[in-house]
Amino acid sequence: MTRSSRLNPAWLLVAPLLLLVLVMFGGPLVNILWLSLTDPEPGLGNYAALIEKDSLRKLIWTTLRVCLITTVLSVILGYSIAYAMANVAEATRHRMMLFILISFWISVLVRTFSWIMLLGRNGLLNNGLIEAGLISQPIPFVRNEVGVLIGMVHYMIPYAVLPILAAMQGIDRRVLQASRNLGARPAQTFWRVYLPLTKPGIIAGALLVFILSLGFYVTPAILGGGKVLMVAEYISVQILVTLKWGTAAMLAVVMLASVLALLYILSRFMKLSAALGGGRT
Amino acid sequence: MQDKQFMRETVTEAAHAFRAGRLDRRSFLALCGMAGVALPSVLAGKAEAAAGEIVMWNWGGQSEECHGSAIGVPFTAETGMPLKFDTSGPLQGKIKEMVDSGNVTADVCDADLFDAVALGATGHLEPIDYAVVSKDKTLPQYALEFGTSIILYGYAFMYDTEAYPDGAPANWADFFDLEKFPGQRSLYKWANGSLEAALMADGVAKDALYPLDLDRALAKITAIKDSTIYWGSGSEAHDMLVNGEVSMGMVWQNRGRNIEQETNGRYKMVMDGAIAMPGAYIVPKGNPGGREAVMKFIAVSQSVDAQLGLFSCLGMTPTNPEAVAMISAEDAPYAITSEANMAVIALNDPTWWGQNTDAAVNAFLEAIS
Amino acid sequence: MSTVAASGGLTLRGLVKRYGAVQAVAGIDLEIRRGEFLTLLGPSGSGKTTLLMMIAGFQDATEGDILLDGQPITGTPAEKRNFGMVFQGYALFPHMTVADNIGYSLSVRGRPKAEIAGRVAEMLELVQLTGKERRLPSELSGGQQQRVALARALAFSPPVLLLDEPLGALDRKLRVEVQEQLKDLHRRVGTTFIYVTHDQDEALSMSDRVVIMRDGRIEQVGSPEELYTRPRTEFAASFLGKSNFLQRDGRRWSIRPERIDLVAQGLGRVSGRVLSLNYFGPVLKYQIETAEHGPLEVDVDAWRGGPALQPGAQVGLDWKDDAAVPLDE
Repeated sequence: MTRSSRLNPAWLLVAPLLLLVLVMFGGPLVNILWLSLTDPEPGLGNYAALIEKDSLRKLIWTTLRVCLITTVLSVILGYSIAYAMANVAEATRHRMMLFILISFWISVLVRTFSWIMLLGRNGLLNNGLIEAGLISQPIPFVRNEVGVLIGMVHYMIPYAVLPILAAMQGIDRRVLQASRNLGARPAQTFWRVYLPLTKPGIIAGALLVFILSLGFYVTPAILGGGKVLMVAEYISVQILVTLKWGTAAMLAVVMLASVLALLYILSRFMKLSAALGGGRT
Repeated sequence: MQDKQFMRETVTEAAHAFRAGRLDRRSFLALCGMAGVALPSVLAGKAEAAAGEIVMWNWGGQSEECHGSAIGVPFTAETGMPLKFDTSGPLQGKIKEMVDSGNVTADVCDADLFDAVALGATGHLEPIDYAVVSKDKTLPQYALEFGTSIILYGYAFMYDTEAYPDGAPANWADFFDLEKFPGQRSLYKWANGSLEAALMADGVAKDALYPLDLDRALAKITAIKDSTIYWGSGSEAHDMLVNGEVSMGMVWQNRGRNIEQETNGRYKMVMDGAIAMPGAYIVPKGNPGGREAVMKFIAVSQSVDAQLGLFSCLGMTPTNPEAVAMISAEDAPYAITSEANMAVIALNDPTWWGQNTDAAVNAFLEAIS
Repeated sequence: MSTVAASGGLTLRGLVKRYGAVQAVAGIDLEIRRGEFLTLLGPSGSGKTTLLMMIAGFQDATEGDILLDGQPITGTPAEKRNFGMVFQGYALFPHMTVADNIGYSLSVRGRPKAEIAGRVAEMLELVQLTGKERRLPSELSGGQQQRVALARALAFSPPVLLLDEPLGALDRKLRVEVQEQLKDLHRRVGTTFIYVTHDQDEALSMSDRVVIMRDGRIEQVGSPEELYTRPRTEFAASFLGKSNFLQRDGRRWSIRPERIDLVAQGLGRVSGRVLSLNYFGPVLKYQIETAEHGPLEVDVDAWRGGPALQPGAQVGLDWKDDAAVPLDE
């Protein structure tokens, strides 16, 4: 009788951890929110600047554009890779997976400079093309937005491959056989059955890539040649160099809010897809 | 100077990926964990200061070795106090954060003199005790209330001699002239030096630069923007040149000599219009080693031997006039304030930068992005 | 019904399927008549599913030919064979409504919307699911899903319908009900049904002919009655129903338990002693030890013939001449 009204003792065990998470995670978050509303002066001035200042609007737009294009390209390329992986012998798939995982171990800095060696004005590709007589002037592959996209897509593809591959491996082969059996050409089977069934994987991959892209720093800084300014780098400059902590905090809050909104949409969508029978019959 | 910072950012980025990954599906845990392999290095390289020792906050690498041998050794011999290093890079924001948090772990920062102006005004620094530190052992305009310049570095540009066989560019006007000297350019990404260079190219006299006319400078910079790429670290500036990405590029002046030697003279530095930057020692408010000890340390840094040691080790020019006078004729062209160079270089105004960094940097970023 | 099959006669000629050294199908020759209900019956590993997949076009034949109404279709891809199929587990499209599932075959053939809608309504009526067209498969019961799978497979009037253990996922009671519906459906649409199962009751109750398979080969083909009353091998006799085996006149004989009569001790062909009995509602099953043939199983109608015999009782066993069937060696 009394037992049910008393606190479950298990909570006492979890309490220190909960408190730690609250203090270590919640504390700084509140601090950032507070900073965005009080530095340099109390009010919504930092947020108003987001609307009023062309430079901030441009910054947000550049970030969104780069992240969106990165997401689309990563998902398309990731889908192709996952498709190949889903349709080869298991041993080959394991080898391919190993290559994907190895790429996680290569530091961003190393990748970035490798791209410059490969695609720079004096890089292997441009030199090769010039020697082959195909072009007379080097093509600017890097140190611009194209370069940023190449670097980011390269980094992000594995993050797209994994959830998509998981979705593909979850498809019942018989459903695809049923489609063929009912007279659908291979392309019809792909568009009308295969693609819709991998949609949860595509959405998970796209969100993952997009959210990770938002925080990208080194790749845009270097491959963009300084001309592709994204939010993460801008926040760092405002904190470390110009000491505009209010602006930085405001941008951090906006980013966090956008990511949370996206995750919320994701959670809604995933539930929806389960209701639609996105899994197996 | 900021090379180290990029390494750190890389590591931090890996950690971010790890964290972001954990937010998502369980299957990524293991993978994202791999990005976290580098995590421990975020925590490395930090010494905790205490009484009886001095902790210098700098950028690590060669700079750590050179400061240790040139200043640390004589300082320890004289006072018995060891010199330790925190190599995480004393950017303004980090110093402010450290002082605001009340947990000051560094005694002296290898920073810029404009940092002394900016952070001094907001009460984050200890004033320099000029009873211990000598105003005569630095340039008169660089002995400020909250910081004193120990060495000078600077911005100059280098060009590819093979790109311009018929006549070399000689000054910033040539650097900004794409018709006469076609080819790609590089400039420093955080405005400093780049703005002064643009104004000199536009005809402003080197001793009439300040206050900087931002609009005029940015107009000049945007005019060649399509042919310019921007670097954020010394090694990047170096790579852009020697990889042939640019045919003319701004570099840290103290690195120019290395690049000339490394490329057997293919790349040459132009000192006309080079901008001398006062590097400064500044003391976070409430430093753990105490004011007396740290002032003693700064005084030791001003000695001729210490300054010449830094010059030979890092290529940074001494501020002590006595030390400058002792530089050999062979080395003199690479000392930014040598008698010959003094006639052609511009001197950075730390007060203007200390008061206008935010406006200048943000306007510059907006213009180039 | 609009689905009157104009074709649907299949010929399998020397079909072989090898996976490396393993022969899943080891040489099958079979004529499947237009409009018949043919069951492939066998234990798992007998090659029946592989054979079905080869007919469907999902597995290539290593050797041999498949002919539809005399025309070879061995190399024709699955999507061009126009065979309907009901898969094990149904394999409905989980993201499509019932109507879209059923209309899929017409939709991929580019038929007009109105025609598809009409045909879907017709098929829903056929499988008694009218009103469920907007549901998703996950919102239906197992039996309803099974009917959708049938309607989907029949919507484009295929000459041949392949069914791969379609009742496996249903519980026993529902299975009997669906068996009758399937049989009824077969009569109405007139399509050739090729039905794979390992369940002998299903095979017996629904089929026109049953093919008993074993180790990739055909053990025996015939009508259910023929197979039951005149099994040619020990395997066929024991796989379809129960059987006693006797050795007499230098060969093996099969005799079904219900064909043996119990008579008074000393009468009949042999005598024996009751080992055990089990009561199964309509029948009593006896185990009787005989000197000549070892233990024999005997089924007796429970309503007939007085009190049950107790273990240890001595009894005579008798059967008619045609009850014992000679087996091939």
